[in-house]
Amino acid sequence: MAVDITLLFRASVKTVKTRNKALGVAVGGGGVDGSRDELFRRSPRPKGDFSSRAREVISHIGKLRDFLLEHRKDYINAYSHIMSEYGRMTDTERDQIDQDAQTFMRTCSEAIQQLRTQAHKEIHSQQVKEHRSAVLDFIEDYLKRVCKLYSEQRAIRVKRVVDKKRLSKLEPEPHTKTRESTSSEKVSQNPSQESEEKPVTEECPENIPAESQPELGTWGDGKGDDELSPEEIQMFEQENQRLIGEMNSLFDEVRQIEGRVVEISRLQEIFTEKVLQQEAEIDSIHQLVVGATENIKEGNEDIREAIKNNAGFRVWVLFFLVMCSFSLLFLDWYDS
Amino acid sequence: MVGVKMAAPAAASIRDRQTVALKRMLNFNVPHVKNSTGEPVWKVLIYDRFGQDIISPLLSVKELRDMGITLHLLLHSDRDPIPDVPAVYFVMPTEENIDRMCQDLRNQLYESYYLNFISAISRSKLEDIANAALAASAVTQVAKVFDQYLNFITLEDDMFVLCNQNKELVSYRAINRPDITDTEMETVMDTIVDSLFCFFVTLGAVPIIRCSRGTAAEMVAVKLDKKLRENLRDARNSLFTGDTLGAGQFSFQRPLLVLVDRNIDLATPLHHTWTYQALVHDVLDFHLNRVNLEESSGVENSPAGARPKRKNKKSYDLTPVDKFWQKHKGSPFPEVAESVQQELESYRAQEDEVKRLKSIMGLEGEDEGAISMLSDNTAKLTSAVSSLPELLEKKRLIDLHTNVATAVLEHIKARKLDVYFEYEEKIMSKTTLDKSLLDIISDPDAGTPEDKMRLFLIYYISAQQAPSEADLEQYKKALTDAGCNLNPLQYIKQWNLLSRVMNTGSQFVMEGVKNLVLKQQNLPVTRILDNLMEMKSNPETDDYRYFDPKMLRGNDSSVPRNKNPFQEAIVFVVGGGNYIEYQNLVDYIKGKQGKHILYGCSELFNATQFIKQLSQLGQK
Repeated sequence: MAVDITLLFRASVKTVKTRNKALGVAVGGGGVDGSRDELFRRSPRPKGDFSSRAREVISHIGKLRDFLLEHRKDYINAYSHIMSEYGRMTDTERDQIDQDAQTFMRTCSEAIQQLRTQAHKEIHSQQVKEHRSAVLDFIEDYLKRVCKLYSEQRAIRVKRVVDKKRLSKLEPEPHTKTRESTSSEKVSQNPSQESEEKPVTEECPENIPAESQPELGTWGDGKGDDELSPEEIQMFEQENQRLIGEMNSLFDEVRQIEGRVVEISRLQEIFTEKVLQQEAEIDSIHQLVVGATENIKEGNEDIREAIKNNAGFRVWVLFFLVMCSFSLLFLDWYDS
Repeated sequence: MVGVKMAAPAAASIRDRQTVALKRMLNFNVPHVKNSTGEPVWKVLIYDRFGQDIISPLLSVKELRDMGITLHLLLHSDRDPIPDVPAVYFVMPTEENIDRMCQDLRNQLYESYYLNFISAISRSKLEDIANAALAASAVTQVAKVFDQYLNFITLEDDMFVLCNQNKELVSYRAINRPDITDTEMETVMDTIVDSLFCFFVTLGAVPIIRCSRGTAAEMVAVKLDKKLRENLRDARNSLFTGDTLGAGQFSFQRPLLVLVDRNIDLATPLHHTWTYQALVHDVLDFHLNRVNLEESSGVENSPAGARPKRKNKKSYDLTPVDKFWQKHKGSPFPEVAESVQQELESYRAQEDEVKRLKSIMGLEGEDEGAISMLSDNTAKLTSAVSSLPELLEKKRLIDLHTNVATAVLEHIKARKLDVYFEYEEKIMSKTTLDKSLLDIISDPDAGTPEDKMRLFLIYYISAQQAPSEADLEQYKKALTDAGCNLNPLQYIKQWNLLSRVMNTGSQFVMEGVKNLVLKQQNLPVTRILDNLMEMKSNPETDDYRYFDPKMLRGNDSSVPRNKNPFQEAIVFVVGGGNYIEYQNLVDYIKGKQGKHILYGCSELFNATQFIKQLSQLGQK
């Protein structure tokens, strides 16, 4: 159990102050001068460009987080149209939020990158560098967490859209067609969830022609006769049962596929992360290898030159010896 | 205490308590709450060597990072100014530390300072800091000053050691030196009592103290009692007020503190052991839960260039997260080897599973029609991918333990430690010896000279009567032939005489009679604890002194007021302890439901270090 002795400390500061005053010792900041001096002392101190900008980035991310949390309820809940006007959010608003959030996140991560390069460029001691890179890691982590908030929301939204589409398929045809087109438009507006839509949308067009035929058929028959004979009623009932059964099985299948696709997307996320991590490593390995090949090339050159020099040297030595022996012979001949 | 988990009885996990206290300190002395979307706050941690020893078994570097610590530095290293960063200090209030801190204040290294002292700081030193802060006009920068009362090192959930840095000061040798002066003894006792006091403050309980008479333990008990009493009397500043006691957990039951002196049982630290943790401590370099191994890189013949074989130094941390270690640290070595094998098998099976999945997925890519298989495999794949980090972790642990176990095994084989172990067990339990001691000592390949010395000392200590002079000469000759240093023997002789005079000579015997009921044998310390905890009457523990700091009237009465058996107990060995005793206590308590024991010692040594101390003592 820790004991807070801050008050004790402040009391001792006071006692020391009074003691020093009593002793008449000149203190570097006793009494009124002290506070002024402190203020004075503080301002010329380098404010630390880095940390003020880091804090700016953090406050931005904080704002984004608050914004997302504030509108989260509306974002998710406003699917039930029974809700009050106040809570409702149209899809365009949601898209707006999505886009804004994305641009915001992009700018934040760019700002972080900038800070990082700047921190590396400035020459500082090892400790300060380490500290700054750790701080940047923290900020990136924070951004990732906030992005997670956002992507969770987004995933829920997309799921709802898919649900909605599925529900809309069970309604009668003219409504179905219009509903589908609007919902597929909405769905296609979400760029990052394309992989999810594709299998689902592929399914839907396949099923729609299949469905429309019997429906058209029954409707066509119904519209023709004014009175429905009991056999026809029975037939219609049977057809209805059959259709309901078909719809249910389709419903189940689609749900399964949806679940699988969500899992796949999650896996993909994991894999992308890992691949990105490896990318950095592979880059560095690449650099190393390139450096190594260059070194080897230079080494080869140097060896070749050395061999040449060696050879050249030998030639000269031989030449010199031969010249010496010839001159000796010449002198000998000359003398005799 | 606000924010502390109260699920388990407090005495059962001193490690949790200390960790929570540390985390709170790191969080600017505000209780730590996990918040997933909290803004990052960064700080710098400055500690001295004491602080480092306390923090390193409890928090890993990653955990420090999670708490927002960007840099952790030693107090007395060169530190550069990092503006706009709060700094958390965790140091002992010694003169040099205070000087250095004042220097930091003058140099304006950081933006704000949170000072935390490991044990209580004196008023005059506080004024020194105040002085320096005033001189540097930095008074507002000193944001908080705290006394943490964390002056002990927790190694396991239920084991603690006093200190590592100045072990020399409180070692067995320091306490038992013949030439020790009173003042030196006082300082040693004060250090021990200070740490014990911090321990009880962190635990949040006031114990009932029992100690044997006439030993260093008694001195410690008297001082500790006095200190606790003073603190309780001072109602304004008492550290043991209502909320520390934690929701009435301890209001009915107080723990028992048993203070024993190392001299009760000199045989156990010399004993060769067979359980995993104790073996690692005995044979390898094991320190503050970290093992340092030297691995030679392969057994190849050195090339013609005759470069010496490079030995890689590896160090491993054996932490509470390591489940294998937690399960097997007390098991006998052969069991450990088997379990490592088993873990390896299960790991391989899981790895194969993942690989098989991979091949199935590969197949799947070509075959479009089998969507039904896909769903299962997707789920399997997800679970496989998410379990990959677990698998990797498991592999790392298996590698770690394989290396450690192999190193230990090599030592065992080289020194024939199993032979020693069996023989010593027999000596200590007074069963008949089938091989003569002389044979073992003169056997050239069984063990190092030190091992032989240990064996002989155990024999000497456990013998009912001193062996005759002639026998002794024979043994001495055999020992010197084997290359041992005879100094420890000198010391033991003196000690023996002394102790025989004081009539405590027969206490180190492990009595077989009492323990017929239990299969395992209890070491003396365990026996004493058993007697005291269960309030059994026994001639050796009956005249132990009794202290209760909460009682209004001072002074001990030898009659304990409380007749009920205790549920929690803390055993503290003054003069040094080791893992063998710890393991024995853990085994003893496993059989009893609902009881908890904490083991502590003033220093932790293995047999090698103990022999060194004995020989230093014997040289005088």
